[in-house]
Amino acid sequence: MRERLGKELLFLDGGMGTLLQERGLKPGELPETWNLKRKEEIIEIHRQYYEAGSDIVLSNTFGANALKFHDEDCSLREIIFAAVDNVKTARALAGKDDGRHYAALDIGPTGKLLEPMGDLSFDEAYEAFAQAARYGAEAGADLIHIETMSDTYEVKAAVLAAKEQTGIPVFATLIFDERGKLLTGGDVTGTVAMLEGLGVDALGINCGLGPEQMLPILKEICRHASVPVIVKPNAGLPKQRDGKTCYDVTPEIFAGWMKQLVETGACIIGGCCGTTPAHIRAMTKACRGMQIQVPTEKTETIVSSYGQAVVLGDCPVIIGERINPTGKKRFKQALKEHDIDYILKEGICQQEQGAHILDVNVGLPDIDEPAMMEEVVKELQGITSLPLQIDTVDQRAMERAMRIYNGKPMVNSVSGKQESMAMVFPLVKKYGGVVIGLALDENGIPKTAEGRVEVAGKIIREAAKYGIRPKDIVIDVLTMTISSEPEGAITVLQALEMVRKKYHVRTVLGVSNISFGLPYRPAVNSVFYALAMQKGLTAGIINPGSEEMMKAYRSYLALMNFDKNCEAYIAAYADYKPAGPARTGSPASGKTDSAGGASGTGNDRKTGEMDLRYTIERGLKEESGRLAKALAETEEPLSIINQHLIPALDTVGKRFEQGTLFLPQLLMSADAAKEAFAVLKDTMEQSGIVQEKNGKIILATVKGDIHDIGKNIVKVLLENYGFDVIDLGKDVDPERIVETAVKEDIRLVGLSALMTTTVVNMEETIRLLRKEKPDCQVMVGGAVLNQEYADMIGADFYGKDAMQSVHFAQKVLHSGEKES
Amino acid sequence: MNRKIREAVRYLGYGRHAIDEQTLALVESSMEELSSGVRERFIYRIFELSQEGETLKIGDWEIKSRSLSKNMKGCRQAAVFAATLGPEADQMIRRASVTEMAKAVVLQACAAALLEEYCDSCQDRIAQEMAEEGKYLRPRFSPGYGDFDICHQEMLLKILQADKTIGLTMTKSFMLTPTKSVTALIGISMEQTPCHRQGCEVCEKTDCAYRRDSK
Repeated sequence: MRERLGKELLFLDGGMGTLLQERGLKPGELPETWNLKRKEEIIEIHRQYYEAGSDIVLSNTFGANALKFHDEDCSLREIIFAAVDNVKTARALAGKDDGRHYAALDIGPTGKLLEPMGDLSFDEAYEAFAQAARYGAEAGADLIHIETMSDTYEVKAAVLAAKEQTGIPVFATLIFDERGKLLTGGDVTGTVAMLEGLGVDALGINCGLGPEQMLPILKEICRHASVPVIVKPNAGLPKQRDGKTCYDVTPEIFAGWMKQLVETGACIIGGCCGTTPAHIRAMTKACRGMQIQVPTEKTETIVSSYGQAVVLGDCPVIIGERINPTGKKRFKQALKEHDIDYILKEGICQQEQGAHILDVNVGLPDIDEPAMMEEVVKELQGITSLPLQIDTVDQRAMERAMRIYNGKPMVNSVSGKQESMAMVFPLVKKYGGVVIGLALDENGIPKTAEGRVEVAGKIIREAAKYGIRPKDIVIDVLTMTISSEPEGAITVLQALEMVRKKYHVRTVLGVSNISFGLPYRPAVNSVFYALAMQKGLTAGIINPGSEEMMKAYRSYLALMNFDKNCEAYIAAYADYKPAGPARTGSPASGKTDSAGGASGTGNDRKTGEMDLRYTIERGLKEESGRLAKALAETEEPLSIINQHLIPALDTVGKRFEQGTLFLPQLLMSADAAKEAFAVLKDTMEQSGIVQEKNGKIILATVKGDIHDIGKNIVKVLLENYGFDVIDLGKDVDPERIVETAVKEDIRLVGLSALMTTTVVNMEETIRLLRKEKPDCQVMVGGAVLNQEYADMIGADFYGKDAMQSVHFAQKVLHSGEKES
Repeated sequence: MNRKIREAVRYLGYGRHAIDEQTLALVESSMEELSSGVRERFIYRIFELSQEGETLKIGDWEIKSRSLSKNMKGCRQAAVFAATLGPEADQMIRRASVTEMAKAVVLQACAAALLEEYCDSCQDRIAQEMAEEGKYLRPRFSPGYGDFDICHQEMLLKILQADKTIGLTMTKSFMLTPTKSVTALIGISMEQTPCHRQGCEVCEKTDCAYRRDSK
């Protein structure tokens, strides 16, 4: 059938669920069981669709995956085999065994949300789809039709499973709303980019809307898609009548709209909820013989995340460079200490400063890079919607990150070396991605612009052999330091222009290398950055925290009319005042990060009057950071902690316990203290002082529970009091907690649970801990707990609020030790 | 202070204490950020309901619950209802948990308040529709209230096809994801039953610190 795709119009079938309901399917009954229990009726429906003109009929397996389908009488395997067989039987009965009519295995969503939104892991989702796909292919399905998806991550798992487990064509369609958004927030551009990257044979939209509402979305899909587009609307928008869901669009009207959809660019059409064989018959009658708009190869370079797409086009974009240990002591330490929060903060910070894509490099000689890369990518995509750039030379790290990445990633990088291309290109082909091609090869970095352009050409040609298109390659002509290569900048600027003109590819540069070894580097960097953009640089890998770079960027956009009416420029600098001598610290980064109302209150007072204790007690975050920095010039960090920070925290803690101050205020103070600690930590690192930790504590939200805010509150406070918190996260298996407690020789574990249903798992965790690590104490907390309940499940301590857990931790971990 | 903000402040544990300006500013800005960042959705379907003692039946779905039966007494129909603020709210809270815990806690409270208000407005819409047929709604009753077992979450979501219609699912332990979501049954009856206590006051946990009518 692959030969026919995108060359002629193909017809799918129509609805199944609504027809089964008419035949007596009860609310909540599993429709898939009818493949065995009421086989004849299923075959009859399929036959009617073939006779109505469908080229492709979908099996009745929408919910047939291990996560959704639980039935005592029939196994999943039986169901899927029977379902595919029913389609084939119907095809024979309809006299359509001519090799031009197909039986498709239908795959619907798992009904679960994937992590971090829900509790289903990517691998579990993959497994469920893989099993269904295998059974379907074994049963003789001609293709796999994945549909009604609402989440890019889930559809990625399904497509990967279908492609890895079978060799048959794979279609994928999703539900977009009238604004062209998925329920999980994704947009058309990003979704199309991801699916094409994964190599689907056709993609499109189904369910949710009627044909009329789908028209604008179809247009949008067609603007971006290079593969044939599928449209499978409902028979209008659902309406409730007498307790039943009804669809109003009649077969004739449906057929009229479908004709329009074909004229707009649909290549494979059918119906979803509420459509019947009559709709399909009218549709095939109206559309048969119509010429399709043959899909053309689109040339936009697009990367995407779960929620947005970034087009690498004429307007330059910023790739944030700061998630990278190179030359950064503090970052290296964070990696060694597994301080994921520090890395996430770097990501959030760069997003606020204006980055469009985040480079992610976690390579250090003594860490497990593939595992770390996977973890950081997962965590980052849970808190930011910026697309990520996977930056590694480790093939396993690259593959793992590309596999679990939710979207179409940027990949950093491949070079003109055969070995590099042989390693990277198969991954880009398989998972999709936009890869940076470095203009160097076995002979090193060519001296001349021509030489680099030649290597770029080699990369582009080699990529083509793998089926990777030039739009998915972004060339880096390599910034050379001008202090050692006097012609370095000139060569790069020439090469930028040449490579763009010769190959029509997009370009990328690590900008700041240019000034290595020079004083006042930002001056050189920002001018070079502007020059490079002028020569066609698409994406600068820069530090968006550098005010000079951002000035250059924003000015360039305003000057070149990429920033309409200079709106972004004005938004960033409307309040700009020339730096006076009084201004210190916090660079005006366009937007200052919101410290809530805190900064407002602080500014009312004369800065001179505030001391660190005051700012922490009042929860003034930025001021606390600044004052800690100033204090550290005259005072020892440890003394600052003991003389200012801890007393301030104690005072606030007492007021909280007395009920004169409340949780948000307690936490504002905690956040302010944290800011001060971060500053002091930097100082200590530079001077080589090691802060003695107050002992290690494991915190976890127990298995089955995903509500972790209470645990996070406790964590912030414990860390402020100098405890070394090992945060195992939420939904944590008892075994993992016990394992960690034993391995790290932990004396205190804190567990949280929100609901009675998960307290059982808390109890189980305590039981296991008692057995495997008897000297370890357990404190518990959470909405449903109280002292009585805590006693019942055998906890050592019930913390009714976060301060109580601090006191208990001090009691447990300080007793028998000399206090500092 | 509008009702939403007032409710959020209550969730933050202020009880009858006045909230300080700094926190109030944070509550207000968080509420605004949340309101503009989330995409609320709801769905409901109306089913015939039969009742036998403490057992309710909707199609194949059987629910044994004393408190729900009490709530549904005399109803021959029920609206199965679900609403969610969507995944964006969770993401905002997750993100604030990394950089600013105070804001995470405030967002959490704001989301709860926003969700309640949204559910109320949805219920008003359903009530209006029912009023046209001369029918009345009972207060909504969620799995997990009283002895209405939380396991019924599964069937409730399935009946509404909540995953594909509004993007609402549950975890293995029956917790809703996105977390800022509500599912409920709403009784529909031919008579208006007066003095159904609403919301929080109906709960049996009278010593709760967050109780609206706490002394």
